[in-house]
Amino acid sequence: NGIDTLQPLETTVADIERFKDSSALELTCPNCANKFLFGGIIASNFYTMCYNGLQCKNCEHIFSPLQITSQLERCIRSHISLYYAGWLVCDDKTCGTVTRQISVFGKRCLSDGCTGVMRYKYSDKKLYNQLLYFDSLFDCEKNKNQLLKPLYHSGDIDYPISSLNESSIKVLSEQNRDLFETNRSVVQKYLSDCARRYVDLGSIFEFMRE
Amino acid sequence: EPKKYRFRTMRQNLVESADYLDDQIESFVPIVQEHYQLSKDDFGDPTIQSQSEIYAVGRIVPDSPTTEGFLNPESLALETSRISGIGRRISLNLTEVNDFSLFCGQIVALKGKNVSGDYFLVTEILSLPYPNSPVSTTEDIQKLYNGKTDRTSKIIVTSGPYTPATSFDLTYLAEFVDKVNTSIKPHAIVMFGPFIDVTNPLIASGNLPNFPNVKVQPKTLDEVFSKVIAPILSQINSKIQVVLIPSTRDALTKHAAYPQDSFNRNILQLPKNFKCFANPATFQINESFFGCSNVDVFKDMKEVTKGGTITLRNRFDRISEHVLNQRRFYPVFPGGIKKKLISSSDSKDKKIYEHLSGADLEVAYLGLTEFVSSFTPDVMIIPSELQQFARVIQNVIVINPGVFVKATGVRGSYAQLSILPANIDDGKLTKVESPDGEVYLHNVWKRARVDLITI
Repeated sequence: NGIDTLQPLETTVADIERFKDSSALELTCPNCANKFLFGGIIASNFYTMCYNGLQCKNCEHIFSPLQITSQLERCIRSHISLYYAGWLVCDDKTCGTVTRQISVFGKRCLSDGCTGVMRYKYSDKKLYNQLLYFDSLFDCEKNKNQLLKPLYHSGDIDYPISSLNESSIKVLSEQNRDLFETNRSVVQKYLSDCARRYVDLGSIFEFMRE
Repeated sequence: EPKKYRFRTMRQNLVESADYLDDQIESFVPIVQEHYQLSKDDFGDPTIQSQSEIYAVGRIVPDSPTTEGFLNPESLALETSRISGIGRRISLNLTEVNDFSLFCGQIVALKGKNVSGDYFLVTEILSLPYPNSPVSTTEDIQKLYNGKTDRTSKIIVTSGPYTPATSFDLTYLAEFVDKVNTSIKPHAIVMFGPFIDVTNPLIASGNLPNFPNVKVQPKTLDEVFSKVIAPILSQINSKIQVVLIPSTRDALTKHAAYPQDSFNRNILQLPKNFKCFANPATFQINESFFGCSNVDVFKDMKEVTKGGTITLRNRFDRISEHVLNQRRFYPVFPGGIKKKLISSSDSKDKKIYEHLSGADLEVAYLGLTEFVSSFTPDVMIIPSELQQFARVIQNVIVINPGVFVKATGVRGSYAQLSILPANIDDGKLTKVESPDGEVYLHNVWKRARVDLITI
């Protein structure tokens, strides 16, 4: 304990660090059924952001706004549902039990004699960061300033062949602003219900109640 | 009451969840004690060795936390509460009991002994008492009907999905609305979600078509509802009361956990004859109490059964009895999950699954899924993907209306309830003496008729 558990304020952590465990958004082309990862306005071998929206490089189909938002919403919901599946994991490395059973003493491990502490495998922090990651993908300012978490690293099989220059990213961000705002509204719908975002003042100041 | 469902989601607290699971066991102790006239000394800790026979109340769990899949009578254990056995779990030996139906999450009362310290030998499973039925006074009933004792009330119940899995075709729904207005003419319609199912394969493949007859194409799933589905539902005659109950698979809600907050009627852009209720919800139509829950307990409850008299009975009857007995609409724990195998690599034990959907239980709030004031509803409606049915179980009408449209696009079903008015003089109500004077059991099961009709 002590200095090892000292954590920086969450709001000061850079996105790349914060989203390191977040999973990518996978989209399917409605026309040719090609699957690819969407990482905002970036270079990709599978899609381009063009003036009229998102285009599949394989078949040149341009997604309608609904064809993107609906897939985004489904992806968010499968994350929330996985979170609510309530998988727990024991923090004792020699035990590591993974289960959906909860003891009436929540944190107690159910394996015989194990003194480890049980935690949600998919934590609410991870879910919250996952939603913020989806939000960042459709954030025009972050796109313009190229602050997004990169999808590929040099050496990856799918590392983009061509690259996008800074000025075209700026122009494309403006041109797709409406589309991006619509997608952001879908993410915001769930962020607005995410209890992690709100501090429960009632419970913090409970000691002051008579 | 409805305000309690308005909690924010996505912040589960393990200690709060455990508190609820502990309370659940403890709340049944006084019920068992009173019903069987036992004293506190008759109860013991089943997890420790003892020579004498004791009574124990606990939760049925698998005997290993990592057990997945099907259980059998040799792989069950009993979890004690913090007070009764410091939360320890003990394997059950059920060889001496001939007939039973048990499931994970069930609260049970057992009689038996733990001689060796290794297992609890069960000699008897005590059946839990059914909760009481609601009652009304003479004045209540007279006020409700105001002399109109000849009017049969007609209630329609439907359950989503309302579109096939292969298209977003709403012809069936439009047809149905037309039939409701011109020929069925019910007093009320109870519609269960999902209205737009986020697990619909068309959404996963991005294959949403353009909608004809819509000026500006919808940009989000919420807009698909307000621009395409709401206009159809709004055609329902404004004199008919419509109740909407959400599903955790509904795209129209940000509250994706059970218990689930109601839809927001204004956001959905629906007229005033629509009412949005929480999931689960208990409400009254005239004197009758309706208990409605939209998580598929009939599909998710995996029983471990033994004995011919139990096994040969109708499974829906057994599950309905479990729900009534346990006094909550979804007594299964952990809740069901649906996953899809996406790849199994060369070594056979390494399988990778993709999570699709589940019961999505918010455990700390499951108290909201218990029967309101410990009364059984007169009519209990729990939609299921399984075959539609209507049965009378322990004097409760249990209905699964079936899905409105099958995934393949084949016509599904809806349920039509006709209830004769409550009449004190016709002998169909049972008079009960209570401390507050004479009251009447509603006996809805004697006065109702349920038809399951193809849409």
